Amino acid sequence: MAILSLQNISFSYDKTPVLKDISYDFEKGKLYCIVGKSGAGKTTLLSLLSGLTTPSSGTILYDDKDVAKIDKYTFRSKYIGVVFQSYNLITKYTALENVILAMDVAGYKTDNKKQKALELLKSVGLDEDETDRRILKLSGGQQQRVAIARALSYDPDIILADEPTGNLDRETQSEIMAIFRSLAKQGKCVILVSHSPDVAAMCDECYKLTKLTKKS
Amino acid sequence: MYIIKNALRCISRSKGRNILIGIISLVIAVSACIGLSIRQAAESAKQSILEGMSVTATITYDRQSAMSNIGGGKGNGGFDRNQLEAIMGGASSLTLEEYQLYATADSVSDFYYTMTAYFNGSDGFEPVNISEALDDNGGTLNGGLVGGYSDETARIKGGLANMMSAGDFKIIGYSSESAMVDFISGVSLITDGVVFAEQTDENVCIISEELAIFNNLSVGDSITITNPNIDTEAYELTVCGIYSSTETNNIPSSMFGAGEDPANRIYMSAAALQKIIDASVTAANEDTETESADAITATLSATYVFADTDAYYAFEEEARALGLGDTYTITSADITSFENGMTPLNTLSTMAGWFLIVILIIGAVILVVLNIFNVRERKYEVGVLTAMGMKKWKVAGQFMCEVLVVTMIAIVIGAGIGAVSSVPVTNALLENQVSSQQSESNRIENNFGRGGMMNGSIPSGENESGLGIKENNKFGNMVSGAANYITEVNSAMNLTVVLQMIGIGLLLTLIASVASVLFIMRYDPLKILANRD
Repeated sequence: MAILSLQNISFSYDKTPVLKDISYDFEKGKLYCIVGKSGAGKTTLLSLLSGLTTPSSGTILYDDKDVAKIDKYTFRSKYIGVVFQSYNLITKYTALENVILAMDVAGYKTDNKKQKALELLKSVGLDEDETDRRILKLSGGQQQRVAIARALSYDPDIILADEPTGNLDRETQSEIMAIFRSLAKQGKCVILVSHSPDVAAMCDECYKLTKLTKKS
Repeated sequence: MYIIKNALRCISRSKGRNILIGIISLVIAVSACIGLSIRQAAESAKQSILEGMSVTATITYDRQSAMSNIGGGKGNGGFDRNQLEAIMGGASSLTLEEYQLYATADSVSDFYYTMTAYFNGSDGFEPVNISEALDDNGGTLNGGLVGGYSDETARIKGGLANMMSAGDFKIIGYSSESAMVDFISGVSLITDGVVFAEQTDENVCIISEELAIFNNLSVGDSITITNPNIDTEAYELTVCGIYSSTETNNIPSSMFGAGEDPANRIYMSAAALQKIIDASVTAANEDTETESADAITATLSATYVFADTDAYYAFEEEARALGLGDTYTITSADITSFENGMTPLNTLSTMAGWFLIVILIIGAVILVVLNIFNVRERKYEVGVLTAMGMKKWKVAGQFMCEVLVVTMIAIVIGAGIGAVSSVPVTNALLENQVSSQQSESNRIENNFGRGGMMNGSIPSGENESGLGIKENNKFGNMVSGAANYITEVNSAMNLTVVLQMIGIGLLLTLIASVASVLFIMRYDPLKILANRD
């Protein structure tokens, strides 16, 4: 059964159609990739999936519930974990603090948040001495790992990642993709948005977006 | 809870900005603290003086009001002689019965009166310091005034003397012991014998030491006083006590008569004096050779005592209800003196109030601007937090919390600095204010001549009164009234000021945060993050 389902989704930006009549299903335990050229609406689709914006028409279902009827803050903070292209971490916080903050915002209950955050950061490949560093003192790859750890911290069913390997070297790309594959195997629904054929090749399923022209 | 934790973290991670906000808040806090302290000091001074003050009041005739009521004057054909006589003369006097009627008002806690009449001495009883230049005209002082003046000046001054005094001795009759304020305050002390019994109608009196020595009198001796208008009308009094007084003669007896010299005052019961006056009136009416105007007359002065100022202010309405006419006003020298004394501190308090308002407005504007810059600078952070699912009101709450913590720290430090500096600053400002007030009074005296010859007649000096407030008696002006200015306060800060400071801190936080909250509520995380990307 699909944990997330797009039903006839259309989206226009200033009367310009960006997405039209999209219907995708995403299931738990699978790694999905949404590919498309620049301007095809990949980031718009990610914004719709992450609850940052609402479709012009159509319905998004989360666990068979209309996302429009779920509080958008609750949806974003509890049900879905987003890894943004530019990571969007709080730069004045340390890696550990960023992860704990996400748990606080989600109202996630655990005996020891710090311990859980440290374990998560370790699982995504961040060294222990790097967890207390401020974000700006970390490399792009390390920031990417912190962003993934943050997205996982409150145990959401769905992980969304926008161009997760776009700024990384090939070796780090492989490591990050390995993390996503591992998460899918753990039962998460992982949706990647990328224009890279390599990333698409490593996913279970791919959806291709094409740029809408005036004729369509 | 995590909002507060985040707020504290953000404060510690953005020291520069928060120190700047803190310094501005500190300046506001110190200024506000001093302003509030000055206002509090004024209020405390007022309260402490009022608490310890028993208010006394008198009823006086208001000639201006009387003239207005009659409706004469230049524009209306002027007053006729009868009207003027009524205004200036007998119409102004209330009878003892009327005074006593108003004393039945609920607000009055005590009532007493004094009667003052002038008598001449006799062969064996003469006034102290009597001028050698006295003429034979029954002891009046016209002759004493003439020397050294031109004829016209002497005539005017002679007339004044006649008006001011009509005898060698000023006999004051007291209705009760409460009325004998000089003996209560310690200005006068009984050195021999006793004070006459309260309300006695026996012809017993107390005289001053000087008078006793001058006339070789002691307790138990008799003295004879006479009607200044009729030499043969004599009354015998028995001296029951002798008093000494620290009051000095500030009035030239050569000008106002021997009766105005404190040494020539004789005190007795009002009832006894009334009996003498009644006898004099009866004698004048029976004797065909004399006119009724030659009888001894007494001036009545009634004093009402109130428990507090509220009772004093309530008295007017009650007295009017009991029939006191519009042409009479109720005045209190205590209240006037208190208001005069409070003038510099009140002026300073008013100025401090305006200063406080200006500081708060300027401070609030600066804090609002700084907070708007703060939010705009942290727009990305707001976008990230809301994209993560943090509700906007929680983000706004975190920002408010940051401002509140910084402001409150500044308020605490500011209150500390204010507590230390408010007293010296208040006193320095008060000193300037008092000095300015004194200069103004001096200019008025110099230019208008009021009190010129009497200035300094009451010794200058300082005295402490309640709650460490010092009053400075710089003026001895009998005409305009002595002004005991409050020149120093010892404590200005109290719990009220602290609570007001906290209130100001909360108010500033609220004002400074409103703009930033509006910005936060307006922000769309998607737009912020998209622009960032």
